[in-house]
Amino acid sequence: MIAAGLVMLISVAGAVVAVSVKNIVHAIFGLGIALGGLALAFLLLSTPFVAAMQVLIYIGGITIAMIFAVMLSSTGKHEPGEGARRRVLAGIVSIVFFIAMAWVVVGSDFGPLMELAPEDMESAWSVQAIGRALLNDFNVAFELLSVVLLVAIVGAISIASRHDEGEDPAINEEGGA
Amino acid sequence: MPRTLLDIFGNPFIATGVGIGAVMTVLSINVLFCIWFERKVSAWIQRRLGPMEVGPQGTLQTVADMVKLLGKQLLTPAGIDKPLYHLAPLIIFAPVVASASLLPFSKSVALSDLNIGLILVFMFGGFAVVGIFMAGWGSNNKYALLGAMRSVAQNISYEVPLLLSALSVVLMVGAQGGGQIEIGDEVIQLNGLNLSHITLAQTSGLWFIVFQPIAAVIFFIAILAETNRAPFDLPEAESELIAGFHTEYSGMRFGLFFFGEYSNMFIGAMLATVLFLGGWDGPLLPGPVWFFFKSYLLIFVMMWVRWTFPRLRFDQLMAFCWAVLTPLAIVNILVTAFALKVVNG
Repeated sequence: MIAAGLVMLISVAGAVVAVSVKNIVHAIFGLGIALGGLALAFLLLSTPFVAAMQVLIYIGGITIAMIFAVMLSSTGKHEPGEGARRRVLAGIVSIVFFIAMAWVVVGSDFGPLMELAPEDMESAWSVQAIGRALLNDFNVAFELLSVVLLVAIVGAISIASRHDEGEDPAINEEGGA
Repeated sequence: MPRTLLDIFGNPFIATGVGIGAVMTVLSINVLFCIWFERKVSAWIQRRLGPMEVGPQGTLQTVADMVKLLGKQLLTPAGIDKPLYHLAPLIIFAPVVASASLLPFSKSVALSDLNIGLILVFMFGGFAVVGIFMAGWGSNNKYALLGAMRSVAQNISYEVPLLLSALSVVLMVGAQGGGQIEIGDEVIQLNGLNLSHITLAQTSGLWFIVFQPIAAVIFFIAILAETNRAPFDLPEAESELIAGFHTEYSGMRFGLFFFGEYSNMFIGAMLATVLFLGGWDGPLLPGPVWFFFKSYLLIFVMMWVRWTFPRLRFDQLMAFCWAVLTPLAIVNILVTAFALKVVNG
């Protein structure tokens, strides 16, 4: 219980840092802390593989990619604060999203997973089990996700190469990197 | 199967304490040795003597340097991003200790024996990127920031061929003898992500470097890039960036970066030993001797490469990763999977 509370505290603290500080690089590292807290939560739930993937992808990948996006798009200095109207809108969107997610999670039937003893949890979420589930039961969803990623990559390349006829050749030289 | 510290001590807290102590001791000795060895190797290659003054053949030179670093003033530059600047050495240092504890150096004893050991080593390696960026950003120095950006771009790019080449070994382990191996009267179901299982799969047959020479070469090159070693040492290219991301660190803070760097080299060499060179497997001598001998042989090759090849340009570095290594690694995985399917039916 204490461990679960501590993990929640870490995640929430990181999330609060991510949305409240003015310095955008600090905000990204706050998000990294929140995501690391989630990895600890997966560890507490006896799913070390999912926890390792959470760190590998979200802290090692997504956080770093966000830093790159910030570095390439702005000076890194904090932006002027949003107006009250945008804050209210953002609040409404977040609350609606939270209610929808909570509704889905509470309403879902996790079936046999709920009855598993903690010591069986690790084999239920082992690499082999996840691999089988992805390539058998959820194959269509898995392939659809890869199509989404492919479209995203093609889109990113087409946006990046649009500068080709543009007036700033200096950007182009960095395009390959 | 190796007995872990937890099996020996029974108490997780004592086991963790002993494990951390052992890893820190081995890593410290490794750093002291590697720095001396690097200076000696570079000297031999350039027909010099290298350090000769402190101790026989200069063996105690690094100890003297360490004492000097400890005594130095810790300069803190103006205008730094305080939390990031101070956290960075720790973020680089701590995961190194954790991932060193995962590697199986002997048949009978291991610090830990986890089913996802290979993934965990890569996971801890991912933290280094975050630490390097924190150092570069926090230092309020344009050279540090440039070095950090180069390093991060290089690290996340070379992670792709690194993981892909390791994956072909994982495939091989899963297919070895139908995925099972007999040791004494015990039958073990092999798990391709467990580092001691990867070694066990090689003790019964040939080492994986025989079956996977291309993956082994790709892995070694990617390790050189991941540890920021020459010819991929652009992040700290002295002649253009002074020292890259750790330009603004002095005294023992700089020492921690150095510690992390040489330990990462050691971990990379040990991981390559486990994946391709059969780990502790070898005739006559005990397992750990073989394990560390192979690791240090790889470290020697890393140093040899450093003093032989000139530094690449950044676009050459990126093109080499994305246009040569990555497609080659993907083709290698496909061929491996196809061959295993044909052989095992």
